[in-house]
Amino acid sequence: MNVALSLRDLRATVVLVGLGVSLLVATIFSLTIGAVSIPAGDVVVILLQKLGLFQGTAVDEMHAVVLSSIRIPRIAMTILIGGALGVSGAALQGLFRNPLVEPSLIGVSGGSASAVVILIVFGGPLSVYLAPWVYDSLLPIVAFAGGLAATFLVLRLSSELGRTNVAVLILTGVALNALSGAIIGLAIFYADENQLRTFTFWTLGDLGGATWQKLGFAAPFLIGSTGALLFFARSLNALALGEAEAYHIGVDVERTKKLVILFSALAVGVSVSLAGMIGFIGLVVPHFIRLSFQVDNRLVLPASVFGGALLLVLADVVARTVVAPSELPIGVVTAFIGAPFFIALLLNAKKKHEL
Amino acid sequence: MYEAHQITFRTLGRAILHGVSLQVMPGAFTAIVGPNGAGKSTLLKVLANEQRPSEGAVSINGQDISSYTPRELAQVRAVLPQATTVQFAFTVEQVVALGRHGRRSSPAEDRAVCEAVMTLTGTLAFRERQYQTLSGGEKQRVQLARVLAQVWDETVYPRYILLDEPTSSLDIAQQQYIFNLARAVCARNIGVMAIVHDLNQAVQYADTLYFLRDGLVTAHGPAGQVFTQRNIEETFRCRVNLYRDPVTGHPYIIPASDPANRFVAVGK
Repeated sequence: MNVALSLRDLRATVVLVGLGVSLLVATIFSLTIGAVSIPAGDVVVILLQKLGLFQGTAVDEMHAVVLSSIRIPRIAMTILIGGALGVSGAALQGLFRNPLVEPSLIGVSGGSASAVVILIVFGGPLSVYLAPWVYDSLLPIVAFAGGLAATFLVLRLSSELGRTNVAVLILTGVALNALSGAIIGLAIFYADENQLRTFTFWTLGDLGGATWQKLGFAAPFLIGSTGALLFFARSLNALALGEAEAYHIGVDVERTKKLVILFSALAVGVSVSLAGMIGFIGLVVPHFIRLSFQVDNRLVLPASVFGGALLLVLADVVARTVVAPSELPIGVVTAFIGAPFFIALLLNAKKKHEL
Repeated sequence: MYEAHQITFRTLGRAILHGVSLQVMPGAFTAIVGPNGAGKSTLLKVLANEQRPSEGAVSINGQDISSYTPRELAQVRAVLPQATTVQFAFTVEQVVALGRHGRRSSPAEDRAVCEAVMTLTGTLAFRERQYQTLSGGEKQRVQLARVLAQVWDETVYPRYILLDEPTSSLDIAQQQYIFNLARAVCARNIGVMAIVHDLNQAVQYADTLYFLRDGLVTAHGPAGQVFTQRNIEETFRCRVNLYRDPVTGHPYIIPASDPANRFVAVGK
């Protein structure tokens, strides 16, 4: 028993370290790529200098500026968003005991998208009254508020006497997503060419807008919600038995449900507000971890953080290179990588009767 | 003592339980029997604090159940449902270890307890297997191990396990296995309360019997005394004949074929 369990712990550690190292390598590789190609050695030196771990110069000044003002904020945002999307997908799948759940199901993405399209199409007059920088920062705030409002509405409609009915919750999410589809359609009907283009690009996802300023606003929320979700690993394991059974073994089920939904909405809402709609990470990454390694959420949750970040960093590399100097929308790349990969996983799992 | 006092439970304007009182003693096996729809499962849910009663109160070891946090409650009572599906491919030992959720014991202690209960339930041999791939009997033994892991620690206060028809889909050998085990763990200062489908098994294993019909306790007392033809017939509305095992003297029943029995007169 001791041997078996410690072997499992060891394997989990190896998986996490492996994913962490892969993420680091992918990050450095990603930082070397762009309009100016920067050697990996210089990237490492500049990173260490920024962290105050290394003195000395001898690195191209322009490279340092490109990295610190453009590439580092972008990769930092990519890592935080990828991690947040991965862990919220994993947590929600555990919470709803349903492997097909993804963050959009609780209404976050739909709510954000409706709020954004309304702002883009009908918010034009606001730009007259507001200072430009205020108007620019409205988009992420509105997206975040829309996502959170939709989640609260779904949660409210599906709760009775303090208990949340999961079937009603999922169906309410479906209804609300249909409603946001209608709102988006209506707004698009009234949109002009320019607005249409802005919205279309937003729905396809875009990591290009990263700045230190945006990051400063979003990072505490992303890190906070990602970190908070990791604390629910044991409770989510218990929930695999069912809600009543989880309560029997000492889980405060209602509290767990509300907090997991809230932190996931926060993580996804902030991500959507920064980078638009990036699909598939929340669905594919936790599955990959479960099918390749094991289902204990004490591994699945942290591994989904690393895995989500890794997948998004790699997708971003692809997005920036295949049509260089132009750039593909990130959502298109994650779906192109994610969908076939997911089908392959499903076929494999079907063969082994794991689903 | 695990005590339900004058429990009334109403839902959707209908009363399921009418002032039910029940006592489960530590170290003893208490069985509840009754026809379908008598309110047995609802009573178990109220006892487990899954449902709040409309009237009445439940207390464990003298303390009102509503004053326990979910975790504290998990340390004094465990519940074994009829069947449990586990989402995702957890292994047997992972499922058993879930029973330790509410404890704040060391990993080594948890491992020792899990090993002990897996040995007891005969599940140690397939602890690395995935729960989802097990047979019905194996699954229920794993769940029993999980339930035992939850209340295994020797504490000064008694602990309780509530079983909801734990053998309803098992073969006869598996049924005996589960009930023998439940009976045996009473010795650890654990009180067992079980809803039992089979009357002969109820009288075979229980110290105390409760007959429930239409949300009312129709009879209760020491199993040997209340297991009478009259109590059974009035509770189940079915004619039975009561016999005694010639060797052990244990009572058992066989339903009588009664042409007047309205439940039998289906074919007309």
